[in-house]
Amino acid sequence: MDFILQLFNDPVAFYQTHTLLIAEIGINSILAVSMFVVLYSGQLSLAAPGFMAIGAYTSVLMGNYWNTPLPLNLLVGTLFAGVVGLAVGLPVLRVRGVFLAIATIGFIEALSLGVILNLPITGEGLGLKNPTADPIGGINIVLGSVAVIVFVLWRLTKGRLGRAWEAIRQDELAALSQGIDVGRYKLIAFILSALIAGFAGGLESHLNFFVDPTEYGVTRTVQVLTFAVLGGSGNVFGPVVGALFLTTLPEIVRVPNFDYRDVISGAILILVIVFRPQGIVGRGGLAIIRPRWWPKARSAASPG
Amino acid sequence: MGQQVLNAIFIGSIYALFAVGYTLVFGVLDILNLAHSAVFMLGAAVTYSLVVNYNQSFVVAAVLGIAACAFMGLVIEYVCLRPLRRRRAPPIAALISTIGLALIIVAAVEQGRPGSFFAWLWVDGANSVRFPPNMLPNPTWHVAGLTLEATKVAVVPITLALMLVLGYVIRFTQFGRGLRAVAENPRAASLMGLDVDRMIALTVVLSSALGGVAGILFGLALSDISPYIGRDSLEIRGLAVIVLGGMGSVPGAVVGGYLLGLIEVLALVQFGSNVHAGVAFAALFLMLVLRPQGLFGAQLHERL
Amino acid sequence: MLLRLDNLQRHFGGVKAVDGVSLEVEKGSIHGLIGPNGAGKTTLVNVITGYVRTQAGQAWLEGDRLTGLPAHRIAGLGVARTFQNIRLFGDLSALENVMIGMHTRLGDDTVAQLATLPFFRRDQRAHLNDAHRLMETVGLDPGDVGRRAAGQLPYGDQRRLEIARALALRPRLLILDEPAAGMNPSEKQGVRELIERLNADGLTILLIDHDMRLVMGVCRRVSVLNFGRKIADGEPHEVSTDPGVIKAYLGSGAEKEAVSAPGTTEVREVERATRRSARRGAEPEEAILDVQKMWVSYGAINAVRGVSLRVAAGEVVALIGANGAGKSTILNALSGLVPIAGGTAVFDGLDLTNAKPSTIVRRGLVQVPEGREILGRQTVLENLELATWPRRDRAAAQRETEAVMRRFPILGERRQLRASTLSGGERQLLAIARGLLAKPRLLLLDEPSLGLAPQMVDEVFSAIGEIHRDGTTILLVEQNALRALEIADRAYVLETGQVQLTGGGQDLLHDPAVRQAYLGG
Repeated sequence: MDFILQLFNDPVAFYQTHTLLIAEIGINSILAVSMFVVLYSGQLSLAAPGFMAIGAYTSVLMGNYWNTPLPLNLLVGTLFAGVVGLAVGLPVLRVRGVFLAIATIGFIEALSLGVILNLPITGEGLGLKNPTADPIGGINIVLGSVAVIVFVLWRLTKGRLGRAWEAIRQDELAALSQGIDVGRYKLIAFILSALIAGFAGGLESHLNFFVDPTEYGVTRTVQVLTFAVLGGSGNVFGPVVGALFLTTLPEIVRVPNFDYRDVISGAILILVIVFRPQGIVGRGGLAIIRPRWWPKARSAASPG
Repeated sequence: MGQQVLNAIFIGSIYALFAVGYTLVFGVLDILNLAHSAVFMLGAAVTYSLVVNYNQSFVVAAVLGIAACAFMGLVIEYVCLRPLRRRRAPPIAALISTIGLALIIVAAVEQGRPGSFFAWLWVDGANSVRFPPNMLPNPTWHVAGLTLEATKVAVVPITLALMLVLGYVIRFTQFGRGLRAVAENPRAASLMGLDVDRMIALTVVLSSALGGVAGILFGLALSDISPYIGRDSLEIRGLAVIVLGGMGSVPGAVVGGYLLGLIEVLALVQFGSNVHAGVAFAALFLMLVLRPQGLFGAQLHERL
Repeated sequence: MLLRLDNLQRHFGGVKAVDGVSLEVEKGSIHGLIGPNGAGKTTLVNVITGYVRTQAGQAWLEGDRLTGLPAHRIAGLGVARTFQNIRLFGDLSALENVMIGMHTRLGDDTVAQLATLPFFRRDQRAHLNDAHRLMETVGLDPGDVGRRAAGQLPYGDQRRLEIARALALRPRLLILDEPAAGMNPSEKQGVRELIERLNADGLTILLIDHDMRLVMGVCRRVSVLNFGRKIADGEPHEVSTDPGVIKAYLGSGAEKEAVSAPGTTEVREVERATRRSARRGAEPEEAILDVQKMWVSYGAINAVRGVSLRVAAGEVVALIGANGAGKSTILNALSGLVPIAGGTAVFDGLDLTNAKPSTIVRRGLVQVPEGREILGRQTVLENLELATWPRRDRAAAQRETEAVMRRFPILGERRQLRASTLSGGERQLLAIARGLLAKPRLLLLDEPSLGLAPQMVDEVFSAIGEIHRDGTTILLVEQNALRALEIADRAYVLETGQVQLTGGGQDLLHDPAVRQAYLGG
């Protein structure tokens, strides 16, 4: 409770004592946006942690070996994640629904177990040390990035690209009939999501003195998915709200001797999906009416 | 090498048995039950607890453990699946709700420590434990340079027997015929007077029971019981198996299980112990891209 | 010529959905495409619009070759379509749906979006105005309807919206797939006027529909498909009197009748294998099925609006009406597959309103569904055994199964074969046999003649006659109105979810109003 009080009474002190938490909220928000992009275009891709890993390792390795400045490291890490995004996104274009989820899980696990744990350069199972990390100063970059990324995505969803994505999400075949190149737009979303996740990974690695290879597996992806489910992916703010809520919850409510985070996450997933699938934010702001999120399972068949 | 092949056969049996549970539910409902791996773990955990903390014999503990899993199957159906079916939600919703339940189950076990809320279920927290060494007679033989432990060897005939019985039930019994009818065309089945909801519930219960058996065998043969055996070891492999073998095909799951075991062994021999897990997922990914219906599955496409 | 199709072929497995179809659509005309259900019309449209690859032949839109192009490119070339089953973007507003239709005409606006402050921009306003105008063209109010979610709109508005969205492409060719299905006469008139208006502005239209009055009324030329082949092509009056066309649509019984000019009151006797004697058409006092003012809806669509009907033991009652009239929905509601929204339905004392499908079947209300719904992967015998699944007495069940196979010898012969190897007609017999094994007290038959060759239709109806003589009560839904009326004791004529007419089978058979409804007068 004093957590909330401090926030309102003395924001500056709050900021200073809770820098790490705020940074974590920031990173999670960026990840949530990465998830938003693919969900908004109708693709259940769970690949975000894989691209995070690519961004993180690339960025830290560059800094460690070549002493390049941070912006360059982040840029290269992000771009490399994007390239891998293209390589993964292209073949999975035809893969739909549940199968895409499985394929992307396969991708992140293959990356974690097959690649990261086996390349000596990544430190294998021991992880990678990052001596140039800056947990305190880094927060400014994080907050700035969150603002930019959320703004960019917000504008994109308002424009032609966003409408195309919405159409694809609702009904790919109908979207085709309107001249929308479904494959191309799905790929754009996939790569964009990879870029954002890669950036988040690079940024996160900058905040920690250590890159942990176990951070990029199924557990992480479920966490990010929960942000999106809770907040709703009808618009870009939904997952961000989800991330905010779920990251701060453990700080506000503490139960002795019981790490309840997973139980809450699990309960949230079930309750939201069953009772309010469009999430807290729903579509277009805090929706009080309840628009159906899912396209009708039975399309409006001509009666009779 | 020979020893490794033997291990491949043992572990392949467990993969197959586990995957059969996945595929049963997919075949009937067209959804992926991601709580299956948690039920798998629950079987092992409950059996272990009963043996070690409640002093039951292995047989009694195993029976109760399987019963607990069957009961969890009911929970899965009533909490995660049926409400979504009523709403005609798309299959992805069930994917998410079962992920949620899995989180809760794993967290419950993980948080089981002396003095905690879940201590009645499990007291070893996040640790990995094994069945007491003298719980079952476990003679070891040495034949042709290979070491054969009775518990490991027993896995193969037990799983084969179970799968044969299941095959017989599906092919020749009343229940099996009803099951196949519901799997192929639930509408036709309900028009013929079958209670489709009940059949589905029974299928999920059966699938969960089989998952529990797989978990107990896993704990026995690999001497590894922890809250994470489902999530880390089996879940992805189970997915890989059903993708390889074909979703919804029981023979496919069996063949796929052994096939995966074999692939892993070959990768192990070829690339060393760390990469082989990643190879499995790479195989999964490729299969989804090239032939999503697997070896035995049916073609899937949308009707306009 | 705007659209030229040259020997297009498409088969799926063993079925030739499109079997060498060639036709031409004149620029600026309205061209009709008709044929019984399953004739291949929608597949042909899917081929033209690029959703399905043709396996031979070519398609041309003026100078542009369509064959081999992906669907979105064909749309970009100016071929717009609506869908038989309405595929709107349900959660988006009506206006947004139309604006998505404008996708190909708008340039990429990413940079503009990013550079802007979130204030209203002039371009956006122009596009919005365009969308408004398109909605007005189809008769929808952009201010009110425009802001509502497309999936929540009433059925008629949804159909119009789909047209507006298609128009947003500024197409050269507009393909309308059953745009008036499920509409009442005044709504249909509105659609007809809309089509004529659009055509008057120069738009070429390819119209697919089952409503003969509509098609013959607006089209300059009509092509008729049956079993994937084009069987007629010409002006409406030529096509509607073509004996081959009449046979395809109505079945062989009516062939002789239609030789005389349609709409006359002269009546000819029709020879049938099974003939019912004329009965009084009054509703019975004692009924095993009693439906009162039933309402059924699919989402926003009220498929069945206050229908009342009764069936007495031993009768054959027919439900006839055009596609989209609500017939199958009534059967599905009776079987418990679709919820009953209002009114009552009672079968032999069982309230059908919230009953589970399995309970309903066990009471004796058994449906043989449209599309048969047999289990292709299982054998004929296994399919039959499905019907006896709930029974305890296996020996009795086996005896009855054998009896059924004796009555339908072809099933007995094929008992070990997979059901997917049966022909359409054989599958229908299997479905009926299966229905019989479920010991029905009332058998619901949904479109038994659907997609069957006329000869098979004879066999099926002969089987139905036999079943009836053995005492089974039947409620029959049929597109093939004349056949249904020939064997029915009583019938109800449905239109847009309501009962328009009811009476004795023979009376309605010779009723000119009914005749006109099925051949366009």
